[in-house]
Amino acid sequence: MTLLDIRDLKVAIGSVQALAGVDLTVARGEVVGLVGESGGGKSMIARSVVGLLPDGARATGQVLFEDRDVLTMDAATLAAHRGAGAAICFQNPRGALSPTRVIGRQLTDRLVTHQGMDASQARSAAVGLFESVGIRSAARRFGSYPHELSGGQAQRVMISLATGCAPGLLIADEPTTGLDVTLTREILLRFREAADEEGRGVLLISHDLASIARICDRLVVLNAGAIVEHGPTTAILTTPAAPYTRTLLAAVPTLPSPHPAESGESAGSADPARPAGAGVSAESGDPAQPAGSAVSGDEVVRVEDAHVVYGSRFGAGGHHALRGVSLTVRAGETVGVVGESGSGKSTLARLMLGMITPSRGAVTLAGREPSRLRGRALRALRRRAQLVFQDPIGSLSPRRTVADAVAEPLRAAGVKAPERARRVAAVLERMGLDGTYAERRPHELSGGQAQRVGIARALAGEPDLIVFDEPTSALDVTVQAQILKVIGEVTAERGRGSVFISHDLATVRGFCDRVVVLYLGRIVEEGPVEEVFARPRHPYTMALLAAVPSLDGEEETGRVRLTKDPEEAAAGGGCALAPRCPFAEDACRTEEQELRTLGRARVACRRAGALPDLEGPER
Amino acid sequence: MRIARFTARRLLQAVPVLLGVVVVTFVLVRVLPGDPIRTILGPNATEADAAAARARYGLDQPMWQQFVDYLGGLFTGDLGVSIQSGQSVMGEMAVRLGPTLELVVIAVTIATVLATVLGIWSARRAGRAGDHTLRVLALVGNSLPEFWLGLVLILVVYSGLGWVPAPSGRVDPDTNLSLITGADLLDAVLTGNGPAFASAAGHLVLPVATMVVVIVAPLMRSVRASALEVLGSEAYRAAAAHGLPERTLLRGYLARAALVRLPALAALVFGFAIGSTVLVEYVFSWQGFGQWALRGLLFRDYPVVQASVVVIALCYTLIFLIADVVHAVLDPRVRI
Ligand SMILES: Nc1ncnc2c1ncn2[C@@H]1O[C@H](COP(=O)(O)OP(=O)(O)OP(=O)(O)O)[C@@H](O)[C@H]1O
Ligand code: SF4
Ligand SMILES: [Mg+2]
Repeated sequence: MTLLDIRDLKVAIGSVQALAGVDLTVARGEVVGLVGESGGGKSMIARSVVGLLPDGARATGQVLFEDRDVLTMDAATLAAHRGAGAAICFQNPRGALSPTRVIGRQLTDRLVTHQGMDASQARSAAVGLFESVGIRSAARRFGSYPHELSGGQAQRVMISLATGCAPGLLIADEPTTGLDVTLTREILLRFREAADEEGRGVLLISHDLASIARICDRLVVLNAGAIVEHGPTTAILTTPAAPYTRTLLAAVPTLPSPHPAESGESAGSADPARPAGAGVSAESGDPAQPAGSAVSGDEVVRVEDAHVVYGSRFGAGGHHALRGVSLTVRAGETVGVVGESGSGKSTLARLMLGMITPSRGAVTLAGREPSRLRGRALRALRRRAQLVFQDPIGSLSPRRTVADAVAEPLRAAGVKAPERARRVAAVLERMGLDGTYAERRPHELSGGQAQRVGIARALAGEPDLIVFDEPTSALDVTVQAQILKVIGEVTAERGRGSVFISHDLATVRGFCDRVVVLYLGRIVEEGPVEEVFARPRHPYTMALLAAVPSLDGEEETGRVRLTKDPEEAAAGGGCALAPRCPFAEDACRTEEQELRTLGRARVACRRAGALPDLEGPER
Repeated sequence: MRIARFTARRLLQAVPVLLGVVVVTFVLVRVLPGDPIRTILGPNATEADAAAARARYGLDQPMWQQFVDYLGGLFTGDLGVSIQSGQSVMGEMAVRLGPTLELVVIAVTIATVLATVLGIWSARRAGRAGDHTLRVLALVGNSLPEFWLGLVLILVVYSGLGWVPAPSGRVDPDTNLSLITGADLLDAVLTGNGPAFASAAGHLVLPVATMVVVIVAPLMRSVRASALEVLGSEAYRAAAAHGLPERTLLRGYLARAALVRLPALAALVFGFAIGSTVLVEYVFSWQGFGQWALRGLLFRDYPVVQASVVVIALCYTLIFLIADVVHAVLDPRVRI
C-alpha cells in the first residue's frame, strides 16, 4: 500500500484550471521531489493532501492516503488525518506562524497533540527540535514570538512544527527559501533522515532542482498544472526527456557547461569561487560596472558604531542584534551585505531605512538623522530610502492594483494625480511591465512580475538609497536571472546608493562594489568585492565561501569548516567566532576583535593574514 | 519597568490636554447664554441681591482673575463651591462618582466578556442561523433607547416577576452600609457587609442589564469581524492543517488574535457609556454623577460643569491608557 496515491487530480478555481490531471505517489521511507516553476500548481497539490484547498476550488479525481480518499473524507476523519497523517511545512513561514503565540508553545501544541507528550516532556523535546533545525540558543527562543525571528529562523521554526506532528507523510513546500547553503544542506539531510530512520514519506516541493536533487529518490516535474516527467532522480538529471525539464536543468546556475547532460557529472569540479549564480550575475552586472566607478559620490547613508537592541516586551534587557556596526554607502555605489541567517542583515537594512532607531551610535540618511526627526519630516526622510522585500507577492497588499501599489510612495509625497499616473507608467515601463499590468492585483502576477512591481514601487519616488533584502531568494532560478539583471541596471545608476543583502555570495560578487560580512551583529570583514572574494582573510568569510551547492552533492574537503555552536555567544569577551573557529587560540577568547586594515580590506581577526592555510579557495 | 515608564509618560502627555479642557470649559460656560445667579435667586430678587450673590461666588471679578483663582484651587484639590447648593463641589462629586463608575465599569466589563464569547461563537458559525439570529438581536438591542428599555425591564422584571428590588436608590438603607468610596458594592465588600452586598447587587441588575444590551452590539461586531479574519488567515489554517484539536485552536490560535482590536473599542464604548448613564440613572433613581452633572449644566452651575467635564476627560485619559496597555499585552507586535 502506498502512503499517498494521487490519481488524476484536477483542481479548478473559477475558470482557471490549476491542476490538470495529476498522478503522484509517495511511499513510506521515500523522498519524492516535486519541482517546477512557481504558479505551476505545486502548492495546490500539497494543500489537496490535507484537504486545505482554497475557497471556491473544485477538485475531482482521488487523493488516496492509506487508501482513503482525502477529498471525500468526513470532518472527523479529516481532522484525524491532518497532522498525524500528513503535515505540511508551509511556504511563507512568516504568514503561517501564528503571530500571537510564542513559537515554543506552537511547537508543544503539536507535540502534545500528535506525540502524546505531557507539558514538561514536550517542552524539552521542543528545545531539542529547535536545536536540530539549527536554531541557536533554543531554550531562549522558546519564548519568542514569530515577528522576533529573522526570515531564516522563521523558516526553520516552520520546519520544526511540521516535523513535530510526526506525520506519516511530511510535505515540505519550498522549505529552504532564504536559508544559506550550509543550512539548506543540513535541513535537507533532516528530511532524508525522516524518511530513512523514521520511515516517513517525504514530498519535497521546490523550484530549485539543484538544491533538492541529491536527497530525492524520485523526481516529479510539474509544469502548468500537469506532470511533464517523472522518474528516478539520476535518470532525470542525466537524461531528461521533457524539454521543460531541460530548461529547468539549464537554469541551474552552478553548472559551468550549457549542456545539462554533461554538467550532472562535471558539477563537482565546478570552480568553487564562482558558485551559484555567478555566470548569471556577471553578465547582468556588466553594464553596471563602469570600472573603478562611483566611490567618489556623495554619502547617502552613514551608520556609525550602531547598536540595535530589540527590547524584551515589558521588562529590561533584550536581544542585541547589532553590536557596533559602521558603514557608509555613497551615491553610485552598491554595497553587498552577507552573513548567515540571523546575523543581523535585515536589522541593518531596517536601520538604514530609518525604520528602527539605534540604541547606541548614529545613522545619517541623506544628511539627516532619522532618530532626531518626527512626524512629517521623518516620513519625508524615510521616503529617501526604499526597501525591496524578499517575498514579492506578500509585500504587496492583495486588495490594491499594481498601479495603486506603485503610486503609494508618490501619493505619500504629495505628488498630484496626473503627474503620479505619468511616473507610475514610466517606472512600470522601465521594469518591462506594459500598461495591461497596471490594473492587475498581486495574485494575478507571477513571482518575477511581482518583484518587478516591488522594484518599480521602490524606484517610483526616486530615492537616494535602495535596499534589496534577499530580493531573489523566493524566485525561480530562471526568473532570478532576469530580476538580477533588472537590479543590476538599477544599481548602476549614478545618483543612487544601493545595498544588496543576500546569503548567496555569488550574486553579491556579481554586481556589488564592496561587501560587508556580518557575523552575530558585527562586521567581521569588509572590502572591495574582488579583494574579499579572492583573498578572504577572516575564517568566517572563508567558511562562507567554502560552502557551494552542487547537483551531485559531493562534500567539499580541505576548506575551512566552522564547528557548530548551539548557543549564541554572549556579549563581550573575545572574538564572537571563537567557539566555532578552527583557528581559535586562547587569546581569541579574551581579546575583543576590532576591524583592522589588511591590504585593501578590513578584517576583525587577530590571526588574519597569518592563518595556517592562508590561501582562499581561489589559488 | 517599561509599563510604569509608559504610564508616567502618557499621564504627563495628558496634562496639556487636560489644561486645554479646563480652559475651554471655563470660557464656554461663561460665554454661553444663561446666568446661574438669576436661576438661584428667583424672579423677585433685585439687582442689588444679584450683585451681592455674584460677589459671594467671585463672579464679579474679571474673567482672568476668576480663572487664576480656579486654577489655583484645582492644584490644591479645591473645585470650588456649587452655586445651587452652596456645598463643596469636591464633596458632592465624591458621593456621586462612585456609584456611576461602578455601574459603568460593571456594565462594560460584562459587555466585553459577552461580546468576546458571543463574537467568537458567532464567527465560528458564520453564515448559519445562530450567527444571523445573534447579530440581529445585538443590533436590535443597540437601537433601543435606554430609558425605554429600562422602563420595560422594570415593568417586566420588577413589577411583573418581582425578581429584583424596587428601582429607587442603590442599596437598602436598613443595611446600614457605611460610605467609603460611594461605589456601594465595593463598600459592602470593604466593610464585609453581606446584606448590603446582596441589596446593592440586586439594585444593580436592571441598570447594568440595560446598559449591556445597549452597548454590546458594536463590541460583538468587532470581535466577530476580527475572529473571521483570524479564521481565514494563513496562520490559523496552518495550525488547523496540522490537526490541532478544536480546544487548542480556540484558546491558543483564535481567541487572543481575535481580541487585539477590542481594547481600543471598549475604551470608546466606555466613554459612550458614561454619557448614557444620564438616562439610566434617571430611570432607576440612581443619584449618580450623570444626574448631578446634568443638573449642573441646566442651572449653569459653573464650578459643577467645570468639575464634571474635567473628571470625564480624566476618565477618558485613564481608560485609553489602560486600553493601550491591554492592547500591548494582547498583541506582541505592539510595543509600548
Ligand atoms: N522584532 C524583533 N524582536 C526581537 N528580536 C528580533 C527582532 N527582529 C529580529 N530579531 C533578532 O535579531 C537577529 C537578527 O535578525 P535579522 O532579521 O536582522 O537577521 P538576518 O541576518 O536578516 O537573517 P535572515 O537571513 O534569516 O533573514 C535575529 O537573531 C532575530 O531573532
Ligand atoms: S580572532 Fe581567533 S577565533 Fe576569531 S576568527 Fe580570528 S582566529 Fe578565529
Ligand atoms: Mg533577513
